[in-house]
Amino acid sequence: MAKTAKIEVKDGDLLFCLREFFRSVFKTGEVTAMLVPMHLPMKQVIMPVLVSDPERLDDADPLAPSFPMNSATLVSRLTRKPSGGKIAAVLRSCEIRAFTELVKLNQGSRDELVIIGIDCMGAYTNTDYRRFSEKETTVTFYRSVLSGKGTAVSGADLAPACSICEHPVPAGADIIIGLFGIDVRNHLLIQGLTPKGESLLSSLGLPESGEPEERRSAIESLIGLRTKLRDNMFDKTAHAVDTLEKLTVWLSGCVNCYNCRVVCPVCYCKECVFVTDVFRHEPSQYLQWAARKGVVKMPTDTVFYHLTRMAHMSTACVGCGQCSNACPNDIHVMELFRTVAHNTQKAFNYEAGRSPDEAPPLSEFREQEFGEVVGIN
Amino acid sequence: MEENIGTALVVGAGISGIRSALDLAESGHRVILVDRAPHIGGILSQLDYQFPNDRCGMCKMLPMINRDSSSQYCLRKGLFHENIELLLSTEPVSVQGEAGHYRVALRKKSSLVSEDLCIGCGECIKVCPVEVPDIFNAGFTARKAIYLPVPHRIPNTFVVDTDSCTMCGACEPVCPTGAIRLSEREHRQFRILVVDDELIVRDSLKELLEDEGYSVDMAESGAVALERLSGQKYNLMLLDIKMPGMDGVTVLRKAKEEFPDLTVLMMTAYATVETAVEAMKIGAIDYLLKPFETDLLIPKIMGIYNEFEAARARFVDVEAIVLCCGTGFFNPADGKDTCGYHTLPNVITGIEFERIVSGTGPCGGQLVRPSDGKRIEKIAWFQCVGSRDLQNNADFCSNICCMYAIKEALLAKSSTNGEAETVIFYMDMRTFGKSFQRYRDKAQDEYGVRFENARIHSVVPEDGTGNLLVRYVDTCGKIHEECFGMIVLATGQRPVKGTAELAGITGISLNPWGFAETAPFSLTETARPGIVIGGSFSGQKDISESVIQASAAAACASGAILASGKSPMPESLQETVSPELLREPSRILAVVCTCGKSILAYTDKNMLSEKFKTDPEVKNVIFSERICTAGGWDELVGHVRKYKPNRLLIGACLPYMYGRKLKELEKETGLAASLTEIVDIRTPELRFSGENTGENQAAVVIEHLLGMGLVKLKHAKPSTAPSLPVTRNCLVVGGGIAGMRAALAIADSGYRVDLIERSECLGGNLRWITETIEGFSTQTLLNDTIQRIEKNPKIEVHKNTNVLASFGEAGLFMTTVENSEKEVQTIEHGAIILATGGKETEITAYGHGTSEAIVTQKEFEQRITARSLDPSTLSSVVMIQCAGTREEPKNYCSRICCTVSIKQALFLKKQNPEIAVYVIYRDMMTYGFTETFYTQARKAGVIFIRYTKDRKPEVMVSGPVPKVKCFEPTLGEDVEITADLVILAAGVIPELPAGLASAFGASCDTDGFFLEAESKWRPVDSIKEGVFACGLALSPRTIAESVATAEAAAQHAIRIISRNRLPFGKVTAIVRHSLCSLCRQCIEACPYGARILDTENEQILVNSVMCQGCGICASVCPNKASVIEGFSTRQILEVIDAAICI
Repeated sequence: MAKTAKIEVKDGDLLFCLREFFRSVFKTGEVTAMLVPMHLPMKQVIMPVLVSDPERLDDADPLAPSFPMNSATLVSRLTRKPSGGKIAAVLRSCEIRAFTELVKLNQGSRDELVIIGIDCMGAYTNTDYRRFSEKETTVTFYRSVLSGKGTAVSGADLAPACSICEHPVPAGADIIIGLFGIDVRNHLLIQGLTPKGESLLSSLGLPESGEPEERRSAIESLIGLRTKLRDNMFDKTAHAVDTLEKLTVWLSGCVNCYNCRVVCPVCYCKECVFVTDVFRHEPSQYLQWAARKGVVKMPTDTVFYHLTRMAHMSTACVGCGQCSNACPNDIHVMELFRTVAHNTQKAFNYEAGRSPDEAPPLSEFREQEFGEVVGIN
Repeated sequence: MEENIGTALVVGAGISGIRSALDLAESGHRVILVDRAPHIGGILSQLDYQFPNDRCGMCKMLPMINRDSSSQYCLRKGLFHENIELLLSTEPVSVQGEAGHYRVALRKKSSLVSEDLCIGCGECIKVCPVEVPDIFNAGFTARKAIYLPVPHRIPNTFVVDTDSCTMCGACEPVCPTGAIRLSEREHRQFRILVVDDELIVRDSLKELLEDEGYSVDMAESGAVALERLSGQKYNLMLLDIKMPGMDGVTVLRKAKEEFPDLTVLMMTAYATVETAVEAMKIGAIDYLLKPFETDLLIPKIMGIYNEFEAARARFVDVEAIVLCCGTGFFNPADGKDTCGYHTLPNVITGIEFERIVSGTGPCGGQLVRPSDGKRIEKIAWFQCVGSRDLQNNADFCSNICCMYAIKEALLAKSSTNGEAETVIFYMDMRTFGKSFQRYRDKAQDEYGVRFENARIHSVVPEDGTGNLLVRYVDTCGKIHEECFGMIVLATGQRPVKGTAELAGITGISLNPWGFAETAPFSLTETARPGIVIGGSFSGQKDISESVIQASAAAACASGAILASGKSPMPESLQETVSPELLREPSRILAVVCTCGKSILAYTDKNMLSEKFKTDPEVKNVIFSERICTAGGWDELVGHVRKYKPNRLLIGACLPYMYGRKLKELEKETGLAASLTEIVDIRTPELRFSGENTGENQAAVVIEHLLGMGLVKLKHAKPSTAPSLPVTRNCLVVGGGIAGMRAALAIADSGYRVDLIERSECLGGNLRWITETIEGFSTQTLLNDTIQRIEKNPKIEVHKNTNVLASFGEAGLFMTTVENSEKEVQTIEHGAIILATGGKETEITAYGHGTSEAIVTQKEFEQRITARSLDPSTLSSVVMIQCAGTREEPKNYCSRICCTVSIKQALFLKKQNPEIAVYVIYRDMMTYGFTETFYTQARKAGVIFIRYTKDRKPEVMVSGPVPKVKCFEPTLGEDVEITADLVILAAGVIPELPAGLASAFGASCDTDGFFLEAESKWRPVDSIKEGVFACGLALSPRTIAESVATAEAAAQHAIRIISRNRLPFGKVTAIVRHSLCSLCRQCIEACPYGARILDTENEQILVNSVMCQGCGICASVCPNKASVIEGFSTRQILEVIDAAICI
């Protein structure tokens, strides 16, 4: 049983309570710096910030319905080699799962890292959030969500990826801060899930507590609902892209900006093969293609690009939805990738981010596997 | 230099012959590999699936190091190695000389079809009127007298079966290339002139001799005869003595003046001895008496013909001869009990069953009866048909039948989704090899194969169904009857046809059953030095044993070659690429062969030519006829000289065959072999032939293929063929017999060896064994071997020494060792052989340790040697087999204990015939020719009682002497035996510490034995190149078998340390560090352990010698930071583009 405690909430101000908690983490002396989402000065923009001075945590806002990027990439940058300090990272569930994949690919390490996960209420698309964000948005949002009034605020609702996310609880964290099924007017739940998390929790000296029954049922019903929505989406998407022609239509707006690849937390190559000379074809090549078919869509290699990314990343896709968030032409990249990734991962009995001990499917050789495909039983 | 290169003749190109030939070729010797069949692969060419993984894998024998010396593709199709000359349809007819200098006459049987000209179109078979059973399909299908011997050869040209061909000549005119030359039949080339004044004599002789296949002309007088002789060369003249005009003697005299080499045979009805003697003085070789007796005449002419043939043979000078002539099979129809074979259609042999389940077999791999096409629902296997059978003079076990019967039962299961019912009727299931017992248990427990320990009484047909009623007697004597759809007979081994003749030619000796006999403690050496045996020629063997012995034979042959003063071939010089070549713009010459039909189908070759030339890099396009023939190739070389291209595209058939030619071309013209691309335009033509749109479709495909080849060539980079230096010595860990013999084999080849022994003396287990079951003294062997080791200046023995650590790869390992004085030394070596041995298992079961009267086999042996046990004081001895083995966790057979028990039982019986000896056993594993000792033991009165693992014997030690209680199946009740002595067969466990194995990059299997790279094809190699194992560390074995593994491991090490440098393969992986994210997926994915992370420089490093260019790393790497040389992304994408452009 995980070590469980509670943090007291004053005046229903969750943000203040969390900021105080973050400061107390610094006080243990166990942490050199903390990566946490924060309101940037001037505009109401939320971005991950690396804080080393606990006094500068006043604008930290891990509850904002804003998800400008998947911070797994940033944690990877901070931990791929020893940094000389200890880092705490406040992450969403999908960020933790993506980071788990990166660790398996040797792109990061949890050795000098404490991950603090907070029950995820989801976020709006970047476009939506920018449209109406103001100082009070976060408070309005979490009050509405946690009081059961739903996620819709100011006429917008959660981004598609969040609305079907079946992982609202950040199970892979060292420490979880629980919101669901908790009487957040009085306290937040805090759990140490790993020896590292438990030891940090002990040094914080918080009052011990139990996990209320309501929390489990709240989470279960949320996941049940989300799973249903998700499967609906899978069916729809699969039907819409089940031939190469339909897939081409689905991706027809693609302009090879590669934004989806840039923001993808598990796309870890230093330089993507699609930006190398391999795809800078000779001018005569384009003409030959055009001559052969009568017409060739420009830019070329768009479907090929997405298929390649599916081949490379669908075993590691955690469904964070940043690809759709970043697409300038509103291609439903997330729906496509999640659907394909779901099936790929199912085929290998693998789930991206589920456990650091599960080896990535392609790095394992099993002699007796996919007999019907390879023709050897 | 050139003439001092050693040559070995390998007779037989089955898997053993191939293994020996490759081993010798890889260590720099020249090899002549002959087989009397028109194809390679021997018996394996008929078997698709092999135990224990029920697949093929023959290609795993191909070289891993310097792999570009050989074509790398299916070995069933062909073998192309630069040091191997392969001669098919060829056999040795005489061997002269002595050790180190043998002159061998090789005779090639003409296939009557020119391999250069035959294009395999098959027009000939349509017109051939002769139909005979196809031996390849075990007679289930029919073939013509002109036929393809196997379906998969390259080049697959037709051959004429001269035994069944009627020489009707129908095929000759239909052959589009004129490849068939029936006149080339050997007998036809032997021309006989019959000279006689009587027409009837001439005519009858002509008819008789032409029936024998000779070419015959006639002359009615001496004058006509002399005229004929001047117009045509004759090999023989049959000359009548008494003729009007010129008489025979005069003709003879005149003929001999002009044609002194002419052989003449005189004929006369009333020759006096004087006339004959006179004729023979002048030069006739003999005379014949009229009227002729055919039985005398034909052999006489045959004798003359044979001399003529022998003179036509090719003579080769070789330093060593390896005989890998394979095995033959018992024909049940010839036996005392035929089991209905040849009379009941659904009684077949094991080989015939293999053809039924084969995809190229008569039933397309479906499990149906060839006799009536019915699905087979229930099959029985009868073991030991013609083996272990005194009535058929077969007092031996055939070694492999138990395992192949299980395999066939599993194949039957897998091809019917497990529905087929399978029963194996056996005497003892001889699962004595590594992993065999678990394979058997899996067959029984997981797949439901039924094992019946029973004797077959009779087989009778069931009315009208084709099914067979089997009556059998179980172990309790009860009779059962059961009905089967098919019966498969595990037919025993017999010496292969021609064994006795070959023994006569080579002077080797045969054992009592007619198999080749080897020297004591050797499975390869014969009484004649330099003539060695490999594979099943000395008794049938499974694949792994065959290739071990073939490698051992290669080691002995290699030793003989070097001992004769010959040396290996110098290493070929490193190819260098001139910087100009890299800068030069491409000038491509495309040469397309037009002998196929599809290219001819282009009405306008110019069109294809123009299409090519739209690419500015293509300078010339040439159409040529038959590039594969010598003439066609010369023409191509001429074009290269004329146009001076720097890249060459060839469209032809069989790209695999050009390896050597391209290297020669490079030497002659400077055109880099790596900048040549050969496109197979033949396969599509064959694939589409017969279809309506065939030619058009083939033409389209060929055009695509040429386009693909062109872009591949355009992006090809010249190969630089680098290499790694080699430290030319070997480390051997373990100073038992295996380690010592491995060390000697290497030292005798001229390389240094460091032999590490942890104890204070050499010898290992041999130190407590006195003699083998055959009566050979092991102490003599031990002392001789130690003496040879101590005298050999190339071997440094490190006693009391342990290995601390090792790192490195094939070519250079650095191993740190420590002696008892704690002195540490680092040894550099190019290869490592683990010969750490094994020992008898320590056992506490069956009361061992509680009574002096309960001992293990080793303890018994030691007590006898120490004379602390006197057999004359014993009255009853019980031996318990499989004490603690052949069940989990030690679920393997220790292979030697049954033989040891028989040896000890026979010893006791000899010392004191009054002793009652009981052997309580599960299956007696007296495999091979050891079976005869089992027979002797039974004759000597040793009592054998079978037990099963769920009803084990019990040993009770309450009284003064132990009592053994066990169930006696024949009596059907428990018996209690009072024993003065209980001997336990505790089995063998390995002494290969996992840490030691892993220090060298090797690993251990579940039982702690060395884990081979592949159990069948690479049985002494580790996955990591340069690491080998032998002896008991590998698996339980006899002394001779351990020696064989030692020689095999030594030979494999020599492949590495005989070179100054190890060349990389041309196709190897590289890492583009600037792109690499260090995710290390490639390291985990590499099956050859060729990649490591250099933590200091933060780079992935590839060992290019170990890398086999498989490309797995390139496919797991998402951004092509890992790439395969010669397969750049750009190049392959363009090839794909060219392939799909429509």
